[in-house]
Amino acid sequence: MPALDLDKIKKDVVDSQIWRSVFRGGLWKDTPRDRAAHIIGNVWLHLHPVKVRPRALRWSYSWGMGGLSFALYLLLTLTGVALMFYYRPTIGLAYRDIKDLEFAVTLGQFLRNMHRWAAQAMVVAVIAHMVRVFLTGAYKKPREFNWGVGVLLLTLTLFLSFTGYLLPWDQLAIWAVTVGTNMAGATPFLGNEGPFGGLLGMRINNDVRFTLLGGTMVGENTLLRFYVLHCVAVPLLVGILLILHFWRVRKDSFSAAPCQAGEEKVDVWPHLVKREYVAAAACTIVMLFWSILQNAPLEVIANPNVTTNPSKAPWYFVGLQELLVYFDPWIAGVLMPGLIIMGLMAIPYIDTNPKGIGFYAWKERPFANAQFILGVIMWFVLIAIGYYFRGPNYAWYWPWESWFDIKPAPPPTWSVFGPKPDAILPLLLGVPVVGAAFAAAMLLPKLIQRELGGKMLMGGFLGLVAAGAAAGMLAHKIAAAQGAFLLFFLGLSFYFGFVLPQRHIRALDWPRYLVTMFLVVSTISVPLKMCARLTFNIKYLLTIPSISMNI
Amino acid sequence: MGYRKLFYASNALLLAGFAWAFLKDHNAEWKPYQSNFNRMTAGELDKRAAAEPDPQKAAALRVQAADWRRRPLEIKQIIVGGLDRYDRCITCHAGMDEYSNPTLKTPFAENPYKGHPKIDEALAKAHPFTKFGCTVCHQGQGLATTAEAAHGWVKHWERPMLKGTHIQASCVKCHGDFETLRGAEAAALGKKVFERQGCQGCHAINGVGGAVSVDLGDIADKPLERIAGYNFKRVRIDGKELPEESWNIQNWILGHLTNDPAEVTPNDPMARYNAEPIAPSAMPDFRQEISRREADAVTAYLSGLTKEELIPSRWYVPGPRPREPRFADAAAHGRYVFRKYGCQGCHGLDAKVGRRRFNALGPGQNKLADGATEEALMAEMEKGLEPTLPDVVGTYTHEELVKKIENGVPLAAMDLFHPKGPVPAMYMPPWKDKISKAELDDLSTWLLSIAKKDDSGF
Repeated sequence: MPALDLDKIKKDVVDSQIWRSVFRGGLWKDTPRDRAAHIIGNVWLHLHPVKVRPRALRWSYSWGMGGLSFALYLLLTLTGVALMFYYRPTIGLAYRDIKDLEFAVTLGQFLRNMHRWAAQAMVVAVIAHMVRVFLTGAYKKPREFNWGVGVLLLTLTLFLSFTGYLLPWDQLAIWAVTVGTNMAGATPFLGNEGPFGGLLGMRINNDVRFTLLGGTMVGENTLLRFYVLHCVAVPLLVGILLILHFWRVRKDSFSAAPCQAGEEKVDVWPHLVKREYVAAAACTIVMLFWSILQNAPLEVIANPNVTTNPSKAPWYFVGLQELLVYFDPWIAGVLMPGLIIMGLMAIPYIDTNPKGIGFYAWKERPFANAQFILGVIMWFVLIAIGYYFRGPNYAWYWPWESWFDIKPAPPPTWSVFGPKPDAILPLLLGVPVVGAAFAAAMLLPKLIQRELGGKMLMGGFLGLVAAGAAAGMLAHKIAAAQGAFLLFFLGLSFYFGFVLPQRHIRALDWPRYLVTMFLVVSTISVPLKMCARLTFNIKYLLTIPSISMNI
Repeated sequence: MGYRKLFYASNALLLAGFAWAFLKDHNAEWKPYQSNFNRMTAGELDKRAAAEPDPQKAAALRVQAADWRRRPLEIKQIIVGGLDRYDRCITCHAGMDEYSNPTLKTPFAENPYKGHPKIDEALAKAHPFTKFGCTVCHQGQGLATTAEAAHGWVKHWERPMLKGTHIQASCVKCHGDFETLRGAEAAALGKKVFERQGCQGCHAINGVGGAVSVDLGDIADKPLERIAGYNFKRVRIDGKELPEESWNIQNWILGHLTNDPAEVTPNDPMARYNAEPIAPSAMPDFRQEISRREADAVTAYLSGLTKEELIPSRWYVPGPRPREPRFADAAAHGRYVFRKYGCQGCHGLDAKVGRRRFNALGPGQNKLADGATEEALMAEMEKGLEPTLPDVVGTYTHEELVKKIENGVPLAAMDLFHPKGPVPAMYMPPWKDKISKAELDDLSTWLLSIAKKDDSGF
């Protein structure tokens, strides 16, 4: 009997017609040529470049979040398709099918858990990816357009998650979606409750919300619509944009800057691919164990006649729902999200700072980083408030307070400028005063061309506010807590709305300057309004009821 | 750790995770119950075979036993056509599977292996389980295959399994004649107690009765979301606070009879949380008059009042039309009328003493000025009573009394102990559309007959 020659068998197999027709290339020799061929010769792997900069491989640089977002997208497609075999989107069957998944289908509960938790994780991963890309300046020339595609993908991710929220057809689903879609009814011009909606003849049964719901309330048509959007329309769109996104990354190459001058790039196979594999595997493992240990929520079957109290939007939209406390629906539900999306997409075009591409540039980009991080923190603070601090009737409940205890009705609110009796000052005074304040906030940082001392400015401002608050306290007009709130919120707004722009962007050209300042002023209007409402019960700064214009 | 090691470790963990998920799914809670049942049944058959003198019969029994041992484990369900129910209870309660065990009897005493207990031949014959399923009578979550969820002892399942005599609620659901049915005695007693105490004076049932409080015609369907946790937390059954899993409609009804309803629903008489003061629940405290057993009976009766998922008419058995008893004299009929319309709900059994009320100025109460302190307000509120009829009707003529009952006492005509007292003020609704003229006449006659005679000589 001849000895078993493993190397010869291996060579024979690899050289066979079958093997060569499926896999290109001969025996693996681990040469640079082999590694490159491995990437180029494989339709899936060739989305990668052949070589990348060493920095791009560092976890601390990329956080792996882009790749993980895609891994989660694949995981969601897989579990989602499996779930589609058992789920029928009609109000008579949907809830029962979910119960069947939970109690009778093999691995049904597990699949549903995995789909649910992976969807939440993907929202987090996509946001984290965006934060990382921003902080490393990866959106700058020539990658401006791909950043825009990324913003669209983020929006679509949220929309995918939102449309999926309705499908179990329980009380959680129907009311979260009701809260979310009601905001659409407040769209200016296109919503029946939005400003100028009447001008275009918008009614509850022909406006944009009606189009989304397929009815005047969440019902059978909505379920079918959301199902088709969730399973077909949006995933297709995401797929198309993903291809674009990846292709651009490939063409423009990774943004990572060289760690040192004249460094060599390293092979993607195996250095990047192995990292991707391990990250995806680790992520899947976390999802697996999470899904085994924690069941997805399922409440009582949807009942349009019984409103849950409180009704909350899905957590990633709870921040916007919290904004409803401070702003009218068209601002909180349409203008603010619109500004966030448009503002994010505008960033690469208004940020002319050429420094800080491909590394964490804290010193080189103080203004951009500070404003962006402020926005991200505000987004999550609002979510935290809405999620953890709001109880029945959307009243403020501390996390340690039981929702079964009754809260007194909130104190009455009042407005500053507007018609009596709600407002204390007349509208005729309000329009110029508010207009002037807005103009000043927009223009002053650029008009003062001399660099002002930041510390002195901040100190002076805080001193003034403190003095005012102290005077108010002495006159028993405001309490100590109110004074502290005032100091914090005004200080924050002054720093981000005046000190920083004055120091960093006063030299920007006028169009870019105005767009930037508009976004900055919009951002700080949120904490300012929160302060007014939470601390002083001010409902509106300016209210013009005749055209539903309230700010 | 190198990536090679990480690669192997992550793959191993992935495999382990999948295996765990699969095993968890494979080891479903119901499986040991069903396999135990099959094994135990086979064991019993073997025992019988061993005791069997006829070798042929013994062999047949052994074949049966072997067959039981070989049975595959499966989720079994009864599909109840027309009621949209899918009851998987027999997956664990295999002894109650009428297909494989037509007698519904097993030699085992403990759940879930035992047969259907206390089975009434007539009842079982009229309700074949293969057609009616389980949850039509027992409630619970038919689709579920885990014990807690199936019995409905979980959050977000609002129809838990009915316990004890409460199951007779299910007779009331379909049988209009449940009062004469064997097996529905508790529900029948519940209806009697309900009418004895005059509950219908305030709570109409499907429009029949007073409109002071909610119509109970679909009380069994009340969504729990509509009952504040604040109130559920205050319900005591047998002196104990209810755990959250037991916040269900049965305990809510029972809680109204085993507690002072004003304690369960104290509302906001001092306007601490609302712009206007809101009176506590106006429902009287019936604990002195209704025993615990009767309270359960009332719960059974009311839990059957449902408009649930369109029970098709072919499932429904109408009851006889109620017949009016005849009376020899007008006063006796008047006393019957008093009870029939539930006047005793407010004015006390046989009109002996008026029950609690919160707003109107009654005997022994002081009229308070606008700036009265909270304590004073609460103290006066506690004292308030409905009029004790024998004390007051003596001042009316027959016609005046009839008119008074016909028109009721509108809020505007009432003397309140405090102008800003808790709202809504309790007032007597007009009865002219509900009580016929002849009945009113006799009611008035009876009331005047029990009026206290004035001793002062007038």
